[in-house]
Amino acid sequence: MWEFLIPLFAATVQSGTPILYATLGEMLTEKGGVLNLGVEGMMALAALAAFWTSLVTGSPWLGFVAGGCAGMLLASLHAFVCISCLGNQVVSGLALTILGGGLTHFLGVPYVGLAAPGFDPFDFPLLSQIPGVGEIFFKHDMLVYLSFIIPFLFWFFFRRTSLGLHVAATGEMPAAAAAVGLKPIRLRYFAVIAGGFLVGLGGAYLSLAYTHLWTNGLSGGRGWIAVALVIFAFWRPGRAVAGAYLFGGVMAFQLRLQAAGTHLPSSLLLMLPYLLTILVLILSAWRGRRIDAPAALGTNIEPEG
Amino acid sequence: MKKLLKLIGISAALLMALSLFACGEAPQQEKKAEEPAKTEEAQAPAEAPKVVKAGFIYVSPVGDAGYSFAHDIGRQAVEALPFATTKFAESVPEGADSERVIRNMAREGMDIIFATSFGYMDPVMKVAKEFPDTKFMHCSGFKKGPNVNNYFGRIYQARYLTGLVAGSMTKSNEIGYVAAFPIPEVIRGINAFTIGVREVNPEAQVRVVWTKTWYDPALEKDAAKSLLDAGCDVITQHQDSPAPQEAAQEAGAYCIGYNTDMASFAPKANLTSAIWNWGPMYVKTVEEVRDGTWQGDKSTWGSLQDGVVDIAPLGAMVPDDVKSMVNAKRDELKSGKDVIFAGPVKNQAGEVVFAEGTAPDDAALLGMDWFVEGVVGTTN
Amino acid sequence: MLKIRKRDEPWKWGALVVFLGALLFSLAVSGLLLEGQGKDAIYGLTVLWQGSFGSLWSLEDVLLKAIPLFLCSLGVAVAFRMQLWNIGAEGQFALGAIGATWMALSFPDLPRFVLLPLMFVMAFILGGAWALIPAFLKLKLRVNEIISTLMLNYIAILLLDYLVFGVWKDPASFGFPMTPEFTEGAIIPGIGGSRVHWGIFFCVAVGVGLWAFMRFTRLGFELKASGEGARVARYAKIRYGMLVLFVMGLSGGFAGWAGCVETSAILNRLQPSLMVGYGYTAIVVAWLARLEPLNIAFASFLLAALRVGVENMQLKLQIPAAFGTIMEGVILLTVLAGQFFLTYKLVRKPRQE
Repeated sequence: MWEFLIPLFAATVQSGTPILYATLGEMLTEKGGVLNLGVEGMMALAALAAFWTSLVTGSPWLGFVAGGCAGMLLASLHAFVCISCLGNQVVSGLALTILGGGLTHFLGVPYVGLAAPGFDPFDFPLLSQIPGVGEIFFKHDMLVYLSFIIPFLFWFFFRRTSLGLHVAATGEMPAAAAAVGLKPIRLRYFAVIAGGFLVGLGGAYLSLAYTHLWTNGLSGGRGWIAVALVIFAFWRPGRAVAGAYLFGGVMAFQLRLQAAGTHLPSSLLLMLPYLLTILVLILSAWRGRRIDAPAALGTNIEPEG
Repeated sequence: MKKLLKLIGISAALLMALSLFACGEAPQQEKKAEEPAKTEEAQAPAEAPKVVKAGFIYVSPVGDAGYSFAHDIGRQAVEALPFATTKFAESVPEGADSERVIRNMAREGMDIIFATSFGYMDPVMKVAKEFPDTKFMHCSGFKKGPNVNNYFGRIYQARYLTGLVAGSMTKSNEIGYVAAFPIPEVIRGINAFTIGVREVNPEAQVRVVWTKTWYDPALEKDAAKSLLDAGCDVITQHQDSPAPQEAAQEAGAYCIGYNTDMASFAPKANLTSAIWNWGPMYVKTVEEVRDGTWQGDKSTWGSLQDGVVDIAPLGAMVPDDVKSMVNAKRDELKSGKDVIFAGPVKNQAGEVVFAEGTAPDDAALLGMDWFVEGVVGTTN
Repeated sequence: MLKIRKRDEPWKWGALVVFLGALLFSLAVSGLLLEGQGKDAIYGLTVLWQGSFGSLWSLEDVLLKAIPLFLCSLGVAVAFRMQLWNIGAEGQFALGAIGATWMALSFPDLPRFVLLPLMFVMAFILGGAWALIPAFLKLKLRVNEIISTLMLNYIAILLLDYLVFGVWKDPASFGFPMTPEFTEGAIIPGIGGSRVHWGIFFCVAVGVGLWAFMRFTRLGFELKASGEGARVARYAKIRYGMLVLFVMGLSGGFAGWAGCVETSAILNRLQPSLMVGYGYTAIVVAWLARLEPLNIAFASFLLAALRVGVENMQLKLQIPAAFGTIMEGVILLTVLAGQFFLTYKLVRKPRQE
């Protein structure tokens, strides 16, 4: 049994990592009060940008950062349209998904099927020797190890730094925040753009570590799952980790079921991640803790005068 | 005022629509008026064209190092001919959109159009009726007509050869197959592969994982990993990206590619690949168009003997005795002797499907939707 | 020094100006992209124009594409009016196609005037049901409909795959995933000798019907009111719930009709290549048209023209089809940004200090 479970859990960690980056990124944006549905498009463009940069410069780390920047770029469009132009946040996010997807496909044509330098898995010194846990968590690439730290940074940012507290305040009541001298507009811009960077990192993971290739559709719906996971996580980083790994697990699980020789039709197995997303939302809502959503999420700040 | 504008706009749209069906005949007439003019410059009545214009339609991007890439290499062979020019459209989705693209190509005066994916079948038939002087070649389908041929290649022969290699090289006796869709050509390939595997290694099994996509490196890599985790030490694929090759190399296993030679993606792990070689066939077809000897209503199923399918050179890690065994079998196929599916062939339940001493005809092969003994997996 | 001031009344011509401005901007951006790839922008845009409007048959193509797009967009608009973010038009389209196919395969010998309406009815029911699932989840469990409708899109496509690879597979298709071809009775015929089919009149009827419904019935008015203030909705909670179900059901039903039309008239069978993304483009159309049925007709024509024109560019310039998607995205973003100027204007104020 363990021979089946341990590789499954290890695959779960890898599969869940890009989702984790994206979920935390979207969470940051939403804490500021802005809904950004463009995650899917951002991840796609970031994967291309990261791939191209790594291909051209030979440095996967530069590629990783480039992916984050691509995410930031698209996010800033969204920020401008929603924060400055008061555009509808839902529709703007959807437009971003459409645009991101199209741009990626269009610009990526020369790079389909090429391989770029990326991140390879290695055994983390000492920790990988621990039986069980070592194999599950410590035999991955550098970006996975990095992803272990980010949730802590996230928590620290929002609980202990003044910038984080200000962002959260803006997300709850922008009018009150303005009244005490904060600048909600700037804080929102920050939340959207910084969140976009994290999302981009998730996209970069797909083309630099998950595979070393690039193609269309690398993001494969993960961006949408990230948006759902933010709700599931009640806007808290700890639960985001659990959610991301849950998803990674389901995706890895249905493939392993097939490899083991199940008789279940594969179309139905492939539905599992999406069914699970809905289930997860139902369960979250059932607990009745909608109160955790930032109160001003999705609304725009009208200018005075 | 705004309402008035809106009303005008709607009326204009309606008028346009009405006029279209009122002169429904007009488009046909316009086309017919154009056709003779085109055929005059492209080919004088009953005479073959001097410069053959060939159009190619691909379902995926050309650069995918996979299926469409292989077709495009064939196109380049045609382009290199002094008496032919080519045009291509890539990433054309199957269905209604492809109908438009095919029609546009026909309108542009292409003499022959190669539609390289199964899903183009119905659109090709529709457009072929409207353009009786244009010739159509449909790949991997089963419909034909006075100006439509269908064609494909017996890639299963190459699969059989790669199966021999896989069966010889596996130590765990578990071989993994990452497959896209349970359609006959894929199933047939898996079966021929397994027959090859079991010929040299009766204990080995082939495990199949369906990805339900032709091209999704992340999912394909995951699928390969799941097979590796299940104990497979040779991975092969019916997919268009080299991701499973990557996965195999990372895990220290062996791998076999598809469509083109995938050795460059996994130099330490790649044993060989089952490849397409469309160039010679395409050149021959275009020559027939030029000479006026092209005949419609045919189904062509090219084989290793024709050079349409083959295997990539075997890797250095393959021992010499295996190499010579495989080459001997390849020579057999090259001479035209194909007994891959000759009986006795049993299905997964152990029942005999092709009895001893018999060999299935093409129809039985074309509609194959069951797995042979030795395959672990479902056909849906 | 520029300051933002709210307008006393919304800018009347604003919508048209914003729309045209967005179009022009999008064309400019596309031109730049073309140049960036080493292609001649002016030539590219001419090819785009010719591809869409340059000949009678391209107009036919555009109309054929506009029909399912129109129906999907109507559905999306109806939901968006109530701030119900139905992203699931794609999945509802698929379910409609499944419903129509179900009828076509079960009763192949019925005469056309019985079978076609039956197909439309079943398409509406299944498409509507698919939209009711997220509606229920929203009402009873407060599940965010953006995610649930989207997930159902993926599930719907997999369901279609499952049916077409399994129980509905054509025995004569050599194992390929497609249903048997529909009989005469299940195919919407073309008008006269052209390829444009009677679906277009169906669209006109539905469009006018919806417009009249929204304009002249109390329910239609309530829909409009509910969207513009959730406060209004909360005054009559039961009423709100019924409205949500009604609207989502209608929304899914319209998209289902689009699926029915496409399967019956264009493909004449059910196969996975049915899905080309109408459900997502419909969102762009609906928003551009400011959610009004009459405008949607115009906008769907325009975006269908874009799709068809881009195909021409694909052929002549070897540009990938994604080019059209980029334009759609840029148009939508620009319109969103530009709509700012409908409620606000920039005023020059002299510096006070």
